[in-house]
Amino acid sequence: MKLLLDSSSSLLFSLLLAQLPVFTSASPVPQRRPTDMDKLSNQTKNLMKLTQELLREHAFDSDVEPHRFRSLPEMGNRSANDLNNLELKPTLSQLHADLKLYEHHFEWLNKVSKKHHHPAVPKLVEMIREMKSLINLLHRQMQRVEAPKLIPATPSLPTQLPYQFDVLQSSHELLQHFKLFCDWAYRAFLSLKPKVTAVQ
Amino acid sequence: MTCKSYEAQKGLAFAENVSGVQFGRLDSNVTLACGKAKIRIPVVWHLNHSSALPWHKVTLNGTLILLHPNLSAQGNYSCYDNRGNLLHSVKLRLGYPPGQLNVSCQVPNHMRVRCSWVESVKTFLPATYNASWSVKGQDGRPCVLDVARKHCDVDDLAFWQTTHTLRITETNALGSETTEKWLNLHTLLKPNPPESVSVNKIEGFPKRLNVSWRFPSSWPTHNAFPLLFHIRYRPQGSVYWSEVYSEDITTVVIYDALAGHLHQVQVRARDGINSDSQWSEWSRLLLVQPWQAYPTTDPAEDIPDFFTFSTKPETTTAIPPDNDPNVEDNMGLVILLVLFSVVILTTILSLIFVVWVKQRRHDQVTKQELKSMVKMKSMPI
Repeated sequence: MKLLLDSSSSLLFSLLLAQLPVFTSASPVPQRRPTDMDKLSNQTKNLMKLTQELLREHAFDSDVEPHRFRSLPEMGNRSANDLNNLELKPTLSQLHADLKLYEHHFEWLNKVSKKHHHPAVPKLVEMIREMKSLINLLHRQMQRVEAPKLIPATPSLPTQLPYQFDVLQSSHELLQHFKLFCDWAYRAFLSLKPKVTAVQ
Repeated sequence: MTCKSYEAQKGLAFAENVSGVQFGRLDSNVTLACGKAKIRIPVVWHLNHSSALPWHKVTLNGTLILLHPNLSAQGNYSCYDNRGNLLHSVKLRLGYPPGQLNVSCQVPNHMRVRCSWVESVKTFLPATYNASWSVKGQDGRPCVLDVARKHCDVDDLAFWQTTHTLRITETNALGSETTEKWLNLHTLLKPNPPESVSVNKIEGFPKRLNVSWRFPSSWPTHNAFPLLFHIRYRPQGSVYWSEVYSEDITTVVIYDALAGHLHQVQVRARDGINSDSQWSEWSRLLLVQPWQAYPTTDPAEDIPDFFTFSTKPETTTAIPPDNDPNVEDNMGLVILLVLFSVVILTTILSLIFVVWVKQRRHDQVTKQELKSMVKMKSMPI
């Protein structure tokens, strides 16, 4: 009798377990597993959001661009028409090199902001963390499709920023450039998504 | 967006005679020479063959000086010697040198920008224009002019730049002026409104409306350029709009329309990635009534002009991109959930039953043990 009761308990427990897939399949929207390109674009969107927040929170109204950063990724040769014809490997490699360059610039900005006790430091730290995570994710994707790693350009950074004003101005300039870069990169990932699927 | 203007050449009281036409500045003294010869003879000036001249003076060498002339002083001026011989004739046109231009730019997509201008000074004189477009670190390129419509276009933009600069130079006979404008295309980006917007009733559903539209034809169709759509609707007469957002999907179903009432529906669009960009204008207002079991002859007939709705707040619903508002799917889901609940209930009841049976058996065993103990106690040793 005891055996019978024990076995019926186990049976009921198994029945409950068997309900689990039914429960999960009953969710209203069928969840599609995000691809690596989805992750890359989401991460880029997140970075863009952080940049916009920083720009909003530390608004700096200036008509004059100081052009302190001479080694930022060149955006003058990227047009909307180019997004239609992106090649997978060179674009991933270029985006990786560009992000590495921005990473150097933001680490430098973080250092000088800390020195001047700028209130944006916590968010800058978060941004750099997100950026590193995006770079790693992108690197993995590059390895998967065998895209070559470009030799990163040497950043040319301002030697000294004596005043708080200079830090604010530099921060604004860098964030403005990075926001545009993220916008382009996000669109590039969207554009490359079908091409990655074709390769894999 | 910033605008800067500077004068290249300004303040001339008159310009040289070009093919018998002389230009002068309004409200400034204008000098008309009687030919090139500096003969000191008395001369007579006529304007359009009449001796009546605007406020003026004539110098000893026969030069006519018009004092602060207005537009009525324009015309053909002729000077004659005392014998009535024509010495010189010139056509005078009056106006102002160019002033600063008020420039505004439209950016309907990532490829093209159109900048239009309005003169801040009415010059009254023919002008020529030159417009150039430049970005940091690149040579300027022409902004293609349509002088008649006062606008210029630049195609195939290097859109992802922090600042673009437009320079327009207006030149007339009295001078020229360059207006320089710095533009942030990212904040100026404003798509055209969605096209072919249609709202349809759904057969059998008195509270539903199906809204569909197309991307603006000026917007690129490539997947790198998603659009965010904003749909708003309200029963006619209500002051409160209900809202739905749709990411890159060009159709939504409204589930909470007011049965039997005419609804106003509009759609607008914004770039799906750049939240600093602008919303398009709203599409044309559409009026439609949800499906009715027994429709009246004229849907608008039994609807008063003004409703006194209970203060329904503006509601917002976000439609996820993959959401398919399929009625059958929802019914299936409800049935599945009901079945699942029944199974769970049965399981719980069975468990309770098993526990109860176990407990009962345990009690019986205890009773039997007690009985045995009593029996054993009563047995003679």
